Amino acid sequence: MNARWPWVSVSSAARRVARDRGQLLFAAGFYVVVASVLAALWRAATEVNGGTVAGYSGLQLTWYVVAAEAVTIALNTRLIEVIGDDIASGAVAAELLRPAPVLGVRVCTELGRCLPRLGVCVAIGAVLATTTAGAPPDATALALAAPAVVLAVFCNLIAQHAFAGIAFWLRDARSMWFLYHKLVFVLGGMLLPLQVMPSWLHTVAAWLPFAAMAYVPARLASGHVEPQLLLVQLWWLGVMWWAARAVFNAGERRLQVVGG
Amino acid sequence: MRAVTATMRAAASEARANPGAFWSQLAAMALNDIVWVIFWALFFNRVGTLRGWDQSRVLLLFACLTTAGGIVLGVLSNARRVGELAMNGGIDAALALPVPPLPYLLVRRIDAVNLGDLVFGFGLFALSGSPSVERTLIYVCGSLAGAAVLAGFLITVGSLTFFLRRSEAGELGFHAIILLASYPVDIFAGVTKVMLYTAVPAAFVAAVPANLIEDFNLRDALVLGGVAAGFAAMAWSVFSLGLRRYTSTALWTRA
Repeated sequence: MNARWPWVSVSSAARRVARDRGQLLFAAGFYVVVASVLAALWRAATEVNGGTVAGYSGLQLTWYVVAAEAVTIALNTRLIEVIGDDIASGAVAAELLRPAPVLGVRVCTELGRCLPRLGVCVAIGAVLATTTAGAPPDATALALAAPAVVLAVFCNLIAQHAFAGIAFWLRDARSMWFLYHKLVFVLGGMLLPLQVMPSWLHTVAAWLPFAAMAYVPARLASGHVEPQLLLVQLWWLGVMWWAARAVFNAGERRLQVVGG
Repeated sequence: MRAVTATMRAAASEARANPGAFWSQLAAMALNDIVWVIFWALFFNRVGTLRGWDQSRVLLLFACLTTAGGIVLGVLSNARRVGELAMNGGIDAALALPVPPLPYLLVRRIDAVNLGDLVFGFGLFALSGSPSVERTLIYVCGSLAGAAVLAGFLITVGSLTFFLRRSEAGELGFHAIILLASYPVDIFAGVTKVMLYTAVPAAFVAAVPANLIEDFNLRDALVLGGVAAGFAAMAWSVFSLGLRRYTSTALWTRA
């Protein structure tokens, strides 16, 4: 087996997306609308609440929103549905013929597709937050947010593969993506910081993997120097990778027995 | 008119052909909407009121939005796919029929997922909208006007594909109006707020109908009706003009 397949998968997918100006423009336009609206909402909320909401100032919430939205919008929203369709249609069965693991190639390819969109969203988000609210609240926290952004996307991609693997048994994962994204939106802290939630819900959300996919990079970008959050992401990355591998290994064995 | 009604009936039968999938998709969208209600509950629990908007008023806005969205994206589901149809030759089938293409295309497909929005909208209004005869009448008329604005805008931006030969503008317009319509309009200021009443008329889809239910005044109601008629006329004109530039892809697809 050629050991270069992860690099080839990531780079070739990234190059294809980078060449598609229409797709990048769409992602950028969508990101600007979503991030502007949510940032405006939270800034308005801080104004009527004496300058802070749950310990966050308007500036911090703006940086929180641009980071949380960037790591979410960079991904293909319907990835779970696409993976499910590929499993159900037999496309995954054909991929088993390659001399490389199906899950690894798929995750690397999708990571490659996300990276150009992530770069565009992060760049636009930085400009948007600086012009509408002000400079980053803390340079050290922002430096920690850089790896957290990539880890969040990686973690989310692997988790989506683990979730979509249900299609090996149900032959359909269409309604799963709805549920999954709503978990990231609320329990993952994409729409609102975990500190805004009632304490019991905050505790539940902090114990779930979704926080690693949006809350962690957003919390760091909002100026909180909490490097231990990167360890939380690495932990969930390992757990999700193990879960996705277990699901795909079992699913692939089933495909080989039943046929694709 | 009979042909359009018959097409709609056929689309409804098609959507119900697989009852299990139909109801599960309906439930999935309702669940999706419930998450938004949870978000607003958490938000207002922490913030209190925001520039005149509180939890009950936002839920009213959300009821109007999901009802209007359910009508357009569920019953007239091709309204958001005009650009895609123009790109992929999906209009060929409609042109061969002895009916006006736009009404036929609009009723040709019913999307079960978005019918969940419609059901949710009715339910949310019934539960949180303090329904009286007067408020229910305003809610129904306001949601219908909001649906006309939404459909008119989506068809207009989708029809730009005839001229631009790319469908991204239509897709971005769809996401922008749905997103902007789902937030209280008063959180925005300046140019953004002007835009919400003009170029991307998100305010007329949900915020204006919700305000009319809470505090009815004839002037705003007439403006909403005028804007709805204006966007419907604009959609018809832009689609008709664009259709003259339409070229078949020689692929016989299903609209």
